[in-house]
Amino acid sequence: MSGTFVWALVGLGLSVVVVRRRTVAVGLVTLQALLLAGAALVAAASGGDVVAGVALGIRGFALAALFLVLVARTREPRPVQAGIAPLARAGIAVALALALVWLVPAIGLESRAAERSVLALVAFGAVTAATRRATLFQVIGIVLVENGLALAALELPGASSVAIEIGVALDLVLVAAVAAVFHERIFAEFGTGDSTALRTLRD
Amino acid sequence: MTSRETLALAAVAAPALVAALVALAPRRLVAGVALAGAVPAGGLALALAGIALGRPGSPLAGDWVAVDAAAGLLAGVIGLVGAASVLVSPVYLAGMRASLVSVPRRERTYYAVLYAFWAILLAVPLAGNLGAAWLLVEATTAASALLVGFSGKRRALEAGWKYLILTSLGLGVALLGIVLLAAGVPGGGLGALSWHALGTYASGSEAALVAYLLLLAGLAAKIGLAPVHNWLPDAHSEAPPPVSALLSAALLPAVLVVAWRSQQALAPAIGDQTAQTVLVAFGLASLAVSVPFLWRPLAWKRLLAYSSLEHMGVIALGIGFGTELALAGVAIHVAAHAIAKALGFYASTPLLGHEPRAARRAVAGIGRTQPALGAAMGISIGALAGLPPSPIFVSEVLIVAGGFQAGRPWAAAAATVLLALGFLGLAHALLETTAGKARRRDTAEAPGLRGVVALTAVSVVLLLALAGAGLWLPQTELVEALLRGIP
Repeated sequence: MSGTFVWALVGLGLSVVVVRRRTVAVGLVTLQALLLAGAALVAAASGGDVVAGVALGIRGFALAALFLVLVARTREPRPVQAGIAPLARAGIAVALALALVWLVPAIGLESRAAERSVLALVAFGAVTAATRRATLFQVIGIVLVENGLALAALELPGASSVAIEIGVALDLVLVAAVAAVFHERIFAEFGTGDSTALRTLRD
Repeated sequence: MTSRETLALAAVAAPALVAALVALAPRRLVAGVALAGAVPAGGLALALAGIALGRPGSPLAGDWVAVDAAAGLLAGVIGLVGAASVLVSPVYLAGMRASLVSVPRRERTYYAVLYAFWAILLAVPLAGNLGAAWLLVEATTAASALLVGFSGKRRALEAGWKYLILTSLGLGVALLGIVLLAAGVPGGGLGALSWHALGTYASGSEAALVAYLLLLAGLAAKIGLAPVHNWLPDAHSEAPPPVSALLSAALLPAVLVVAWRSQQALAPAIGDQTAQTVLVAFGLASLAVSVPFLWRPLAWKRLLAYSSLEHMGVIALGIGFGTELALAGVAIHVAAHAIAKALGFYASTPLLGHEPRAARRAVAGIGRTQPALGAAMGISIGALAGLPPSPIFVSEVLIVAGGFQAGRPWAAAAATVLLALGFLGLAHALLETTAGKARRRDTAEAPGLRGVVALTAVSVVLLLALAGAGLWLPQTELVEALLRGIP
């Protein structure tokens, strides 16, 4: 994978951290997943690799469909404000990504650019989940982390395991489906998908 | 396929099959199918445990399935608690007023997801491959989150949401660690992650250490070890009691076994001492964080949840000490904690029927108004506190002695002080709960009490047997097998 390609994935990830609308964020993580699936299919050296790439693509489409249905069914009267301004979120995300790149030694992926991109996407996903109040954005943060890990799996030297890659995709869809059930129910109970409403359980 | 492999697959397939049957059965047969399935499903897991623990010197260590002493121990615990959780569920369901799903689908959804969770849970300690173990642990999150929020109440939704997001993020971090490990194993790729292949990691100790730390930090979020334990008290206190029992008694130690196997497999790459120190640190942090909460007057299930944090810390410490004495203690502790904690959660169904306010505040004097319920709660919390002759007293002594044996006197001494403080907190709760001033005078029999009384009798027998076993367990073949791990 070229350096330009992996840095484009990082750019999409950073956009998720700053965008305001849920639909835009869904589009960005879906585009990321489909680019990864395309790259996996282009580089496929065996039938197993093709299956893994197709699984990644199906996962991307399935999650996009699920999230868009959720957005349509849980219209907020006004967008849920994040607790932190977009530029500050971007600053935190970039700082965390740089810290991870600095802390983690060379990890053996096929290029150093890929290693840095993986760490950046994981950092962006974590910051998205931690700083966004909208419940759907928190799930999108997890998807962003998993997209970073999918990039890492594609850049691993040696044979991949189709069973594990399909399993990871399936698990993510399963977790997102359960999150969708919760998101809808939270919206029905609280009248909003704002996670600040979920702060009653404290000791 | 060996007999162990066949039995392992059958033990996992049995609850999965019952889940499918429950999903397809006519509505009037759902509860019957679910209850009838509990005994054979639990029986197969116990049979597997019997074989694995009876002949610990000849483990099965394949690329995808591993049946060793640790797997046998967990299979026994999961089989026992899973069956008991199914059997006590009708009383819980009968008292439900609302849920995530509509009334006609409530029973079917509950049992199908509970059985699916049980099947996946059984597969976790039997996974012969770190990648497969991760997939299974992640799958337990999806199934158990639905069960945590099953009541559909606002607090349950909050608890379920926190659990889902925090553990999924944690497991994402663990997966990053796994990918880093995959990059360093000769042969490469995610297919080379079997426990024995991890021992051949060859990308240098620095990269191995980073991968191990990421893996353990992620798994700790799922185990509920401090400081990444925030979801645990909420999820355990808001889940249906039979599910809380499975979460605390079975899920947490099952994931801890994955951390244990990772520590044993990666010790050659990063050094025994370093690998163990990480677990000792998590163990001490969990003990230290839990103790102040054990001193506070908390609602019954919330108190049990903080006790889970304490006990997972004790088990992590024992694994981190890693000596014969400590591992003998770990084996006793995992089994005893499961029995005592499950009993405590099962007792909460009649408790909440008797005194609904117990869902939010500490209870007192239950032994005065409901002696049988008070006895069940007293036995549970007394055993969890480590009050002799509780096997947890024996296991904690073994683990602390194992710390000194391992040459970690400071950690063992700190653990002793924290355990003593935790004991005092729980002893106070024991006295208040059973013999304090009762707020209610209602002496009518609480719903579901008879089942809890029967489980209390069984639990007392099992706990006493475990206390006895603790005296001869060190230096047995079983402990040697735990020490060796998967060859």
